[in-house]
Amino acid sequence: MLLFKTAIKNIFGAGRRTWLNVAVLSFTFVLMTAFNGLIDGWINDALTGSRTWETGAGQFWHPTYDRYDMFTLPDAHGKIPEDFAPYLADKSVTPVLVIQAAVYESGNMQNILLKGIEHTQQILSIPSNHLLPEDDLIPAVIGERMANTLHASQGDHLLIRWRDKNGAFDVREITIASIFSSSIATVDEGQIWLPLTKLQEMAGMQNEATYLVKSEKCTIAEDIKGWSYKDNDFLLQDLYTLMQSGRVESFIIFAILLTLALLAVFDTQMLSVFRRQKEIGTYVSLGMTPQQVTRMFTLEGTSYSLLGIVAGAIWGFPFLYWFRKTGIILPESYTEIGLGVHETMLPIYNPGTIMTSIVIILLLSVLISWIPSRKISKSNMVEALKGKIT
Amino acid sequence: MKKIIGLLCLTFFAASTFAQDAEEIIMRVDNNLSAKSRIVESEMTVHGRRSSRTISSKSYTVGNEKSFTEYLSPAREKGTKMLKLDKEMWLYSPSTDRTIMISGHMLRQSVMGSDLSYEDMMEDRKLTDIYSASLIGEETIEGRVCYVVQLTAKVNDVAYETQKIWVDTGRFIPLKQELYAKSGQLLKRVVLSDVKQVSSRWYPMKMIYKDVLKDGKGTEWLITHIEFDKPIQDHIFSKASLKQ
Amino acid sequence: MFSFLWKGIIRDKSRSLLPVIVVAIGVFSVIFAYGLINGMMSNMIQTTANYQTGHLKVMTRAYNENRGQKPNDLALLGTDTLILQLKADFPDVEWTPRISFGGLLDIPDDDGDTKAQGPAVGTAYDFLSGNNKEAERIGLEKAIVTGGMIQHPGEIIISDDFARTHNVSPGDEVTFFGSTMYGAMTFSNYRVAGVVRFGVSMLDRGAVILDIEDARLLLDMENAAGEIFGYLPENHYDTKEAEKIKTEFNSLYVNNTDDFAPLMLRLEEQDLMFQTIALMDKIMIIMGIILIIALSVVLWNTGVLGGIRRYNEFGVRLAMGEEKKHIYRTLLGESLLIGFIGSVLGTITGVALTLYLQKYGLDYSGIMDDVNMMIDPVIRSKMTPSVFYIGFIPGMISMLIGSALAGIAVYKRNTAMLFKELD
Repeated sequence: MLLFKTAIKNIFGAGRRTWLNVAVLSFTFVLMTAFNGLIDGWINDALTGSRTWETGAGQFWHPTYDRYDMFTLPDAHGKIPEDFAPYLADKSVTPVLVIQAAVYESGNMQNILLKGIEHTQQILSIPSNHLLPEDDLIPAVIGERMANTLHASQGDHLLIRWRDKNGAFDVREITIASIFSSSIATVDEGQIWLPLTKLQEMAGMQNEATYLVKSEKCTIAEDIKGWSYKDNDFLLQDLYTLMQSGRVESFIIFAILLTLALLAVFDTQMLSVFRRQKEIGTYVSLGMTPQQVTRMFTLEGTSYSLLGIVAGAIWGFPFLYWFRKTGIILPESYTEIGLGVHETMLPIYNPGTIMTSIVIILLLSVLISWIPSRKISKSNMVEALKGKIT
Repeated sequence: MKKIIGLLCLTFFAASTFAQDAEEIIMRVDNNLSAKSRIVESEMTVHGRRSSRTISSKSYTVGNEKSFTEYLSPAREKGTKMLKLDKEMWLYSPSTDRTIMISGHMLRQSVMGSDLSYEDMMEDRKLTDIYSASLIGEETIEGRVCYVVQLTAKVNDVAYETQKIWVDTGRFIPLKQELYAKSGQLLKRVVLSDVKQVSSRWYPMKMIYKDVLKDGKGTEWLITHIEFDKPIQDHIFSKASLKQ
Repeated sequence: MFSFLWKGIIRDKSRSLLPVIVVAIGVFSVIFAYGLINGMMSNMIQTTANYQTGHLKVMTRAYNENRGQKPNDLALLGTDTLILQLKADFPDVEWTPRISFGGLLDIPDDDGDTKAQGPAVGTAYDFLSGNNKEAERIGLEKAIVTGGMIQHPGEIIISDDFARTHNVSPGDEVTFFGSTMYGAMTFSNYRVAGVVRFGVSMLDRGAVILDIEDARLLLDMENAAGEIFGYLPENHYDTKEAEKIKTEFNSLYVNNTDDFAPLMLRLEEQDLMFQTIALMDKIMIIMGIILIIALSVVLWNTGVLGGIRRYNEFGVRLAMGEEKKHIYRTLLGESLLIGFIGSVLGTITGVALTLYLQKYGLDYSGIMDDVNMMIDPVIRSKMTPSVFYIGFIPGMISMLIGSALAGIAVYKRNTAMLFKELD
């Protein structure tokens, strides 16, 4: 404790030099947090994107539905079990009906999926509010990738052909009510979103669905009457796998920023040992063992990091908060069909990551402060008193 | 001479009571087209965007449950066999010596890139069984007077809810057929020609199918030989015959 | 003057070695980090290029119109001639044909009847002609779970999930059923060469890989291909170069009205890649700024400390009658020299490591439990001209500014004070 007090006294006594170091450390620390935040934010963006556009807080699949097997689709529809009624009522579950169809575009036929979604749903970002069915008009929303493939723009009319539950062909004209831009290709490519009730009527599948998407508010997390519950661990599995790969590189970059910060501590320590030889000699002649002196100097060095973290927390908190709010606004990119898209990259601060980096910084700064100081214990104290440690 | 009188009577009769007559017309069409069994050798020409191909095959059909087809040419397809029993279908290819089962959903795929699906090809229910008919007029096609009959599905499981057929007033063979979606949108047009007498019935030996929503020249189907109600040995419709 | 400073730096290790090392490490780290981030970004673009877009891609116009569907009936014909022409016109670019197709993968029982079956999406690459790097490009070898690569005609690679669900192992025979480019039914038996983890659930469920010649036989696509992929030299995507090649190639067909005339596209023109690239450019700028600021602050600190550490010496020098101006100038000169040496060292080592990692990469598949095709377990860097100055300039300037600040004390304090500083 005495050592610690002396160490703190010493570094505060050093005045400007201390504050310089603390400033450097706090700066690097905040920068590191911001950097990690950006990486986490980026990953989170991908996850959030999938959740808000596609998976919600989980899904319930019709017993025969398999998202990767198109051959299951003709059978994968059924009445929604009663158990979901309260959740359907409070909109914490929204049904989606999927049927196979073909779309005609200037003499070309393309096989696509028709997905019916309620126009009042709030769970997914699909702009379903454009899907309010009117008398003769079937409104549809499509993603920009699909729009590209179909050479379609807002207001265009397209013919779609499908077979109802009995296999009878039917053809209707749909009107593109809106084109959305989503980073999630799986809600965009090869599919057209239609009003749920309209699609149910078109297919002769009243009150039926292929899968249900739930929001956080819905508390069911188990299979219901054969409708199997798929949580996001399952639904977003690919994304989780993909994210692991980014970790190694971002760890290296974190390490590099850390190196830069610790270079500053190292510098200071070297200078301290060099310039305070007489002081070291004095401590020893006052009865401290060289090991104690080493420990004190190490503590001093570590205290810089500690102070750096404290200072970083003081000024970094508002800064990082601001950064969290504004993020980085990406350049306005527009697609081939002329849609303006504004995207913002927002950092996410993960307390676990921050705590880990604090621990790592402290441990490493102990090491980095110790390396220059270890000379002390090896030195001849008489020489030290004369100021001649080299 | 009898035939002419019969026809005259029929025309007269048709003019007086339309609806009943339409059913009668369709029944007579069924009598021509439908059979307990048939053996058909045919050539199908598929017009693609870049080239056309002709595939020849021989099929044996009993009712609309059992069907066996062997492809005869071109070389790539020669020896490929297809067996359909009710809702199941098997394919055999000599090059792989494999019998592959095709699930029901595949039956809706197009056959050999044509405008016909397996289902279209297999459909052999009598028109009178699935449609109710009404006579909506008369038109002349290729110099032949035709009844124009509107068909409306009376059962659920039918691909085209309505059809319009132009029935030759003399031979009770459709010369043109239009297939409509539930919404009333025209989907396919079939032109039938080259009507020949085969044993006791008339039969169109050439059919051209066209998906009207799609660009392209459609699919031609030419019957080179056809036999009706000839007994077909049951073992043909077994998986064992695929490998023979 | 210079030689005097030089001797001073060389002879006084504490004055030279430590700051030089600090500058060098700092500059090195920044260059290394920058190259690495750049490598990460270009890796992501490269992955897309490897699997989906190529750096350049040639298709027929009609195929391009419907490219989402991979319509083989609209494929390029006469690809041998076309590839020869491409190779003659753009010899530095590697051109390779690929075919995507769909169908059913069928597992036979002992009687040759269907035991199990699943929908399959297939991609055919040129593995067996022996003159290109397709297997490496798609990271096939590393992603193989059991069995091996396609080495002979008639071999197929299937996906892990399919193999496990249907109990298929390398050496087994499977049948692919699909349709030819003309729509006819087609069947072919293949021997399973290997089982692979794609890393994308959909592909893991039922994707297959064939050699292109086998696929051509299967799909009746002799001398045809859905797409021809082009890869620029060193596998390095260069927008301007790609644009040049694309314009030159497409100009050959400007007056051709055929729907089946070939059409070349750049990477950005496919799959909304231009958005991704715009995003990455922005990230690179931000990361560059962060790194430069971090380096500047640290080196500035080093400069200040380096100056402070010599107050004692300045006192002696002032006492001996040296002019303050001269001391200040030598201090600046020295730090400029140190900054220069350190920055040169840092830049050389940083660029060297970046080049090494660009060329060879660092494989960390050993520490990954689950290697698959979509993840390239290799750390790669990427050189850009900016690595030459991104560390060098802050290395030179920050050090100088730090020393300049510390040196001001020479003017402010009197000789005695400096002499006594910390004494």
